[in-house]
Amino acid sequence: MATVFDRKIRVLDLSMGWAGPLVGQMLAEMGAEVIKVEDTHYFDWWRGSLSMAAPEAQPIERASTFNTANRGKLGVTLDLLNPRGIELVKRLAAHADILIENYSAGVMERFGLSYEILAPLNPRLIMISMPSFGYGGPETYSRGYGNTLEAMAGVTGLVRYHDSEQPYTLSNALGDPVGGLTGTFGILAAFYEREKTGRGQWIELAQVEGVIPMMAGQILEYQLTGQAPLPRGNRHPDFAPHGIFRCGTGSESEEAWIALAAASDDQWRALARVLGLARLESDPRFSDPKSRKRNEDALDAEIGRALAALAIDEAVARLSAAGVYAAHVNSAPAVLGDSQLQERGYFVPVERAVVGTHLYPGAVARMSATPAAQGAPAPLLGEHNAQVFRGLLGMTEAELAELESAGVIGSAPRDYRKAS
Amino acid sequence: MRYRALSGIKVVDLTHFIAGPYATKLLADFGATVIKVEPPAGEGGRRIGPFRPETPHADHGGIFAYLNSNKLGVTLDLKHPRGRELIRGLLRDADLMVENFAPGTLARLGLEPYELLETFPRLSIVSISNFGQDGAERGAILNDLTLFARGGWTFPVGERDREPLTPPGSLAQYIGGLYGAVGAMQAVLARDLTSHRGQHVDISLLEATVATMIYETVAFQYNGILRKRAGRRFAVGPFMIVTLKCRDGYAGLHCVTDKQFMGLCDLMQRPDLKTDDRFNTALKRMANNDALLEIAAGFFLEHDRDWLYREGQARAIPLAPIVSVAEVLEWEQTRARGYFETIDDPALGRIRIPGAPLRLHSHPPEPTRPAPLLGEHNSSVLGARLGLGADELRSLARAGVIAEA
Repeated sequence: MATVFDRKIRVLDLSMGWAGPLVGQMLAEMGAEVIKVEDTHYFDWWRGSLSMAAPEAQPIERASTFNTANRGKLGVTLDLLNPRGIELVKRLAAHADILIENYSAGVMERFGLSYEILAPLNPRLIMISMPSFGYGGPETYSRGYGNTLEAMAGVTGLVRYHDSEQPYTLSNALGDPVGGLTGTFGILAAFYEREKTGRGQWIELAQVEGVIPMMAGQILEYQLTGQAPLPRGNRHPDFAPHGIFRCGTGSESEEAWIALAAASDDQWRALARVLGLARLESDPRFSDPKSRKRNEDALDAEIGRALAALAIDEAVARLSAAGVYAAHVNSAPAVLGDSQLQERGYFVPVERAVVGTHLYPGAVARMSATPAAQGAPAPLLGEHNAQVFRGLLGMTEAELAELESAGVIGSAPRDYRKAS
Repeated sequence: MRYRALSGIKVVDLTHFIAGPYATKLLADFGATVIKVEPPAGEGGRRIGPFRPETPHADHGGIFAYLNSNKLGVTLDLKHPRGRELIRGLLRDADLMVENFAPGTLARLGLEPYELLETFPRLSIVSISNFGQDGAERGAILNDLTLFARGGWTFPVGERDREPLTPPGSLAQYIGGLYGAVGAMQAVLARDLTSHRGQHVDISLLEATVATMIYETVAFQYNGILRKRAGRRFAVGPFMIVTLKCRDGYAGLHCVTDKQFMGLCDLMQRPDLKTDDRFNTALKRMANNDALLEIAAGFFLEHDRDWLYREGQARAIPLAPIVSVAEVLEWEQTRARGYFETIDDPALGRIRIPGAPLRLHSHPPEPTRPAPLLGEHNSSVLGARLGLGADELRSLARAGVIAEA
C-alpha cells in the first residue's frame, strides 16, 4: 500500500538531538524522502562523542538514540562553516518541500540560511525552526534541552515524593518528544495550507510553548483556586489508595513494583478482597473515599504488607480482572516483552550497518490505508553523499571527489570542533 | 489564538476528557471547524475541574475550558435513533471524526467505523484508546498512574532505595492527543494526495507513551544496561543531568558536552577542574560522577537559583530554574511573547490559557473563542447544517435527544 506522501515530497533535515530529528523520522514514516545533513566536524551530537571509543570501533555509529531518531533518512555531510557547504544547502533547499532545523535562535541567520534568504529560492518551501524559547522575548538566546524545558514549563517541580522537597527530572527528556510531535503537526498543517495557496511558510516552534499546554490543568487550578497544585508523589489529591508498591516474597526481583489505584468504592472493595484485606472493608478508617484519603499512610502500610506476600504477575492479573487500576512498573526489557504491545506488533525490527538488527518503537498512528514506511535504518555519516549529490544536484564523480578533497563533504568524522 | 491554515477541514468531535479533546483542540486552533458532539448531560470532562471554589457546579471546569476552546458545541443522544440519524447528517460533509471511546463503543452506537468509511468515502476516523483497537487488552482500563508505569516512564525515576516515582498530571494523555492530531492530518493529506478516500487511524495511548521513551527500550538492546533510579540524577553516565538544591530553590543542570563541562568549571570558578585528572574526559567524568556531583551540589547550595540560571546561560550551560506553574504564568518570556491568552469564559470568567504550541506566519492569528456551554450551538449548527427548524429543535429537546437550550 502507498504511504501518505508516497515519495512525492522531499525533506531537508538539518536538526540534531531528538526533537528536530523526530520530525524528520515521522515524515520518513509517512513516505517523504528525508535527507539529513550533518557536518563531518560537527555531526549530530546524539551520535555521541568520538572520545568514547577508538575510531576503528566507529563509536558514532553505535548510539541507540541517534539510530532510533534518524531511521528512514538519507545521510549527507556538508561543512556549514564553509561557504561552499552553505551554497549546497541552498541548492538542496531549492529542491525541498520542507526544511527542519533546531539550532539555537540566530544560528541559521549566521549561516546565511534564514527563511528570508531561502524563501525567494523556493517560495513553496515550508521551514520549521525550533529554538527552545522562540524568536522574541528576553530568553530568545537562552539554551534549553528536553530536561531543562520540562523544568521551565513547571513539570519537574511537581515530580517529588509526597514527603520530600527534592524534585526529580522525568526519565524521557519530555521536551524533546513533545517538540518533535508538535513540530510534525505544524508541518502537516502548513503543508495542508500550501495545497490550498501554493505558498510555503516559516513555522516557529518555541519548544517550551509546546510543553506548557500539558500543564493547562495545573495552571488553571492556580488561577481558579489561588493555590498552585502541590506535588503529590505517587498519591492522588482526592482518593486513596493510589501508589506504587513492592511485590513478592523475595523470590522475585527486588524491582517488582506494582502501580495501583482504587478510585471508587467498588474498586476499593475489589482491591481489599483480592489482597486478602476484606477485614478493612468494615474498618471506619477506610469506609469511604474521604476516610481512606485521610488515613492514607495506614492504608498504604496494609496494602504494602499484603503485596509483599504476592507475586507481581499474580497481583496485576487478579487486580486487573477485578476492575482495579493495576500495572507493572515496567523496566525497558519488560516494555519490550509487554504482551499487548507484542500482540499488536508494536516494535519493528530494523537492520543497520555496524550494530545489526534491533527492535525499534513503531509508528504510533496505525493508518488503515496508508501504513507507515518502517524498516529502513538511520544513515551512516555521509552514507548517501554520492546518491543525493549526483541524483538530485546532477554532480559528476569528479565534482564529488573535489568536494571531498576540499573537506566540504566526507564520510569520516573529523576532530570535534567544540562548536556545541 | 486561532490560525487559518486548516480552514476548510470539518471535524465531528465525539471525544471526551483529555487525550481526544487535545487532538481536536490542535485542529481547532489551526483553523479546522470542530463540532463537538456531547451527550445531553455533557461529556465527563466538563466535571473534572478545576472550579472556582464559589462555583463548584459551573457548566464546566478549567481543563474543559482550555481543551475545548475554539470548538462549536452541540448535544446529541447517540443512543436515541434520532440522534444516530442526525450525527450522520453531520458526517455527510465531514473530513474527520475523532473519538476516544473504549474500542467497540462506536459499533454499539451504530457507528461501525468501516461501515461509515464505506458510506462517507471522504471521511477519516481517528480512534484514540488505551491499548489500541485490537489485542487481548483492548477493553482494559487504565489511569495516568498505570499508563506511565506500564509505558516505562516511571521505573527509572526516584531514589535508589525507594519506590519509583510517577510523573505528574496527565502528560501521556496529551501526548496521545498530539499523535491523534498528527494522525488526523496524515489521513486528510493521504486522501488528498494519494489514496483519494478516507481511512481509519488507530492510536494506542500505551504505544504513544512507549514511543516517547526511546532511551530505554532501544538502549537496553544495544548495551544490556538497565537504567536504574539514580536519585536526583537523570541517569548515571558520562554527563551530569541533575536537579540540585540552591540557596532559594532548585535548579536543573544539563552538562553533557566537553564545552558545557568547561562552562560549568568557569561558573564555579574552578578552572583547576578542567585539567583535573578525575574529570578531563567524558569517560573519567562518568567514572568519577559522584565526586563531580558533590562539588557542583556544594556550589549550587551557596547560590540563588535565578543567579545560577543567568550566569550559567551566559556560559552556554543549559541550566534551568525549577519553577512552579505560578511562575510559568508570570514568566517574563511568556508575557513578552503574549503566549498566555486571556479569554472571557462563560462559566469561569476571565482566565488565562496557554496559547497555540507553535506559530504559523502565513496570517496573523485571531483571538480564541471560549469553549461552548453545553449545547450552545445546537440551533446554529444543527439548525443551519441539518435544516432543523425551531419547532423541531424543541421537540428534540423534549425527547431528550439534545440538551434543553
